[in-house]
Amino acid sequence: MKKFKTYQTAIFLLLVGLVTISCSDDDTSETLSDPFVVAFENLSANLNDIDDSQEINLVFSETTSEGGTMTLLLESTNAVYGEDFTTNPISEETTITLPLSQGSNNTNFTFTKLNTSLDETVEIKFSIISVDYPNSQIQGNTTFTLNSSASLGRGFEPNVGGPNQPNQVYIDLSTETQTEVRRDSWDLGFYGGNEFRVAINGSIYMAAAQLEETNIDAISEADVSDLQAQVAVGTFDPANEAYIDHPDGTITKTALEAVSAIEAENKVYLVNLGYEVGTENPAPGSVAVAGEARGWKKIRVLQQDNGYLLQYADLNDTSHNEVFIQKNTAYNFTFFSFDSNNTLSVEPEAENWDLNFTVFTNILEGAGSYGFSDGVLHNRKGGVSVYAVSTEDIAYDAFQLADVNPSSFELDQRAIGSTWRDVINDDKVLVDTIFYVIQDPNGNQYKLKFTALLNDSGERGYPEFKYNLLQ
Amino acid sequence: MRHFSLVIFSLCPFLCFAQVGQKNDTIKPESLDEVIVTGQLNPQSVSKSVVEVKVISRSDIDRQAGNTLADVLNTTLNLNITPNTATGKSGVSLFGLDSQYFKVLIDNIPIINEEGVGNNTDLSLINLDDIERIEIVEGAMGVQYGANAVSGIINIITKKSSRNDWDITAYVQEETVGDEYEWFDKGRHIQSLKVGHNFSENFYANATYTRNDFGGFYDNKQGENYALNDGLRGHEWLPKLQQNTKVVFAYEKEKFNIFYRFDYLNERIEKYNETVSLNENPSTGTTNPSALDELYTNNRFYHHLNSTGTFFERVGYNISVSYQEQTKDLERYTYRIKTRQKENIEEGEYQQRSAFFSRGTFSNSINSEKANLQIGYEITNEKGSGSSLAIVLNPDSDEVTQKLNNYDFFAASEIQVTERFSLRPGFRASFSNLFNTQYTGSLSALQQLSNDWELRAILGSANRTPNYNELYTYFVDVNHDVQGNPDLKPENGVSAFFHIKKKSTLANNTIRLKNKLSFNYLGLNDRIELIVVNQSPLSFQYNNIDRFTALGVFSENEVFYKNFKAQLGGSVQGVSKVLDSQTQSNDDFLFNVQLNSNLAYSLPDWNTTFSVFFKHIGTQQQFVEKTNAEGEQEFVQGETAAYSWMDATIHKSFFDGAFTTTLGCRNLFDVTEVNTTAFEGGTHNGPPTQVPLGYGRSYFLKLTYNLTL
Repeated sequence: MKKFKTYQTAIFLLLVGLVTISCSDDDTSETLSDPFVVAFENLSANLNDIDDSQEINLVFSETTSEGGTMTLLLESTNAVYGEDFTTNPISEETTITLPLSQGSNNTNFTFTKLNTSLDETVEIKFSIISVDYPNSQIQGNTTFTLNSSASLGRGFEPNVGGPNQPNQVYIDLSTETQTEVRRDSWDLGFYGGNEFRVAINGSIYMAAAQLEETNIDAISEADVSDLQAQVAVGTFDPANEAYIDHPDGTITKTALEAVSAIEAENKVYLVNLGYEVGTENPAPGSVAVAGEARGWKKIRVLQQDNGYLLQYADLNDTSHNEVFIQKNTAYNFTFFSFDSNNTLSVEPEAENWDLNFTVFTNILEGAGSYGFSDGVLHNRKGGVSVYAVSTEDIAYDAFQLADVNPSSFELDQRAIGSTWRDVINDDKVLVDTIFYVIQDPNGNQYKLKFTALLNDSGERGYPEFKYNLLQ
Repeated sequence: MRHFSLVIFSLCPFLCFAQVGQKNDTIKPESLDEVIVTGQLNPQSVSKSVVEVKVISRSDIDRQAGNTLADVLNTTLNLNITPNTATGKSGVSLFGLDSQYFKVLIDNIPIINEEGVGNNTDLSLINLDDIERIEIVEGAMGVQYGANAVSGIINIITKKSSRNDWDITAYVQEETVGDEYEWFDKGRHIQSLKVGHNFSENFYANATYTRNDFGGFYDNKQGENYALNDGLRGHEWLPKLQQNTKVVFAYEKEKFNIFYRFDYLNERIEKYNETVSLNENPSTGTTNPSALDELYTNNRFYHHLNSTGTFFERVGYNISVSYQEQTKDLERYTYRIKTRQKENIEEGEYQQRSAFFSRGTFSNSINSEKANLQIGYEITNEKGSGSSLAIVLNPDSDEVTQKLNNYDFFAASEIQVTERFSLRPGFRASFSNLFNTQYTGSLSALQQLSNDWELRAILGSANRTPNYNELYTYFVDVNHDVQGNPDLKPENGVSAFFHIKKKSTLANNTIRLKNKLSFNYLGLNDRIELIVVNQSPLSFQYNNIDRFTALGVFSENEVFYKNFKAQLGGSVQGVSKVLDSQTQSNDDFLFNVQLNSNLAYSLPDWNTTFSVFFKHIGTQQQFVEKTNAEGEQEFVQGETAAYSWMDATIHKSFFDGAFTTTLGCRNLFDVTEVNTTAFEGGTHNGPPTQVPLGYGRSYFLKLTYNLTL
């Protein structure tokens, strides 16, 4: 029996030992190590945009833990170093050496124009030829070109403004510019092209219904109260498609009929002014795009002197305001706000934008109008067209000019739309397997891929994309 | 797996040293005087109980090496365990009703969780190391146990005494999860230590600590540090670590017993997002992958003070006072996969419940041999809150809080009409600050016939209180209008059971039989469903509208022959739902067949018991709305495929019971998921989706050391 006692004690100690060591954690795998990369922040800049001098930025893939150096090769066409332009630090022979300082994320050098009249034949190109830093690799934006052509592409973070998505952001790819406008700053757009058409602001979920009346002063709230519940976005009634501008962007499919030259044919419209930009702070991943309801107006639009005469009033008013709005052919629309009772600048000129990041009113098949966040609409009226490519067919990096299929380009301004993200489930995800080919009004063709939907903390309304000129 | 073989190998010396024939570790036939408490006026034997009570004994639990309630119930007839791989919780489904309708009690009082007091229990949070037996009652028990005891209850009876001066039990249990096993990161690792001591003749105390580390089920997934965005990051089943400390102090004297029990549970669930943001830097062409991960921490505190005894020589009392709370916290952060750093850490409360609870019963208060009257009260002061991350709320509000105070009075009487016929009427009135006064009633009858026949008829009722989603959901934006309804009233449930039981012996008493045939009905009125309250603009709201009926017949049989014990059961249950919430619906009964069997064979000379636990769940049907070929919505039968569970174990003790080992295999049929078409939406002949049920065939080894002095 004594033997068993000893044995028991031994086993008991073993058990206690197991209990004790089980409380630690094993961590066998090691941290992944990636190469260190230095690259130009952007691929190109336009010489004409540089008045005097400009800093050219280089970014690192990670913060440096020690110092190092890198060397750039300088090649110029129809321009002479020291006469037409110079750099700081200066070039020795045809190379520029830059220090990589410890604890840093980026470096830069300065390009200075000496000759203010460099013509469009001039091209100055910098290439990274060596990086003296442990485990470094040359990849990404290895060159930077200064010329007078369209942008070669870059990464972009349109300032949509977070989960309330307060801004519409117009992007011009060839000039790398973005123009921000607050979504609820405008109400109506008066078409600048041949047709006499008026658009409503779909980014704040406006809706409009034609009434039988032609006398705007004869309409009161009592006449339209039955209609009001229907003239709205998101009622899940397919009939409500009649009250919105068709989301494909066709100018002849606006909620308001064409403005007739015959005054008596222009009816009064009941207009739901949609919602202010939301102010709530939603759970991460969600959006709160619609705030307070903006109320109602009655309007009537007539033709006048190659322009529009807008009559508008609150529903129960017995008199109305009148504003004349001139057609401006340089723009898709001339925009008007009931808040300021005036026209205002919203879109850049028709040829100077390609994409609009905006909340928009879409149509769900069988369910009518439906509000969409994270929308990207292309400038159909300005001549932009787009098509989507699946990375299962060809990788973004592999896609070349020769791969462009001209017959695939779509006019529907929702060709990008919301196809780049999936927000049905609790997890709001970027669609990784899609990119787009875009043809701008000047015939430049770009490939474009989205790289982020959320910011680092998982909040919506922080899109990022990259694009490259196909050449 | 390599490590696991090692463990088994290290066990070999035990097997060699095993000594033969010290103590009979046979399957004890369930003695006739097995005492139960659930639903009783006074503790009494199973056969005298008017209510039909099923018992899972300590030895049943040990044979299955069950650590939590979720481990032991999956082969119980009628009851299905429903794991939720998205939350890591395990619920229960009984007679087609989910965990909201089922109440879990410990020593006669409901155990709290972050979503309910007694109901909505996560079975994997109920540790079994200090318990004596589990009592199960099917059917509505509203009179005895209050709201939400609709489909049935489980009452867990803890151990509060010992015959020994000292009891020390330590065990380790190593399990594979499917075929996944590593010393730390994979598999399931349980360690436990229990110490019990009799300080004096009257005063007993014990303390238990258990650590249960579940590494999660990876299947094809790659865990936390996987950096690609192809849906493979994270786990199929979430890893979790539970630590449970329990203490009981018990004082017993002839007419006065008191105990205090304390239970602290800490659980940490790791949820690694399968979506990886690559965070590509378009300039350098490099990535810095990150993921939005979540850690859930549960803390449960349970205090229970109970006193039983008699006063005035004959009035028995049983008074419990309890305070419990459970808080589930959520930590969300951005995980930088390459550098393994957490950023943007946000911590906050996810869901919380706390409750003051008191229940008292007084019996034998009328002076009669023929009748026994029990009167009782139950007070629940419950406070709960849910954050906007747990419940969809108006973005203006961060959380919803609710106070629910119930003051219940109940009375039950047991009338011995004749020596063989007894009646049990019962009634409860429940007054609360949120709902109208609720009344529940029950009536049971037991007729004992000659030749060991027993007939029981049991009528019961119970309500289910609306949950926070049903009351407080607020999802209103331009496109949606879905709202909870603060004016909801509780759902009403009624059940009726009829049991015929017969005990017999055959072949000169060498074969003993217990047979039972049962018929059941369970009906629910005012069922809460989300319905369309306006077509244009479309809006939804929760309302009391639908009806639910379950009808069935089941049989449970036991055979004892020498060292062999077999239990065999079968059940056919039909469920009909009258969906007034839908424009079209189908209230035909849909039937589900279940079979179960537990076999045990013991070799007393070897102190060894071989056991097999089996359950088959037949094809389950459900009416769901689908789109047909013409593009119209129609109600069709969706189907969830049949599946079977089987566990097999060998339980052996050594050195006079000082060591016991249990070696076994769970889920022998290697079930991971089954196909189902029983989900709303999609087309009529669309592809099925999968319901996750298990993590495949797993092996375990439990080594227990018992020291008694």
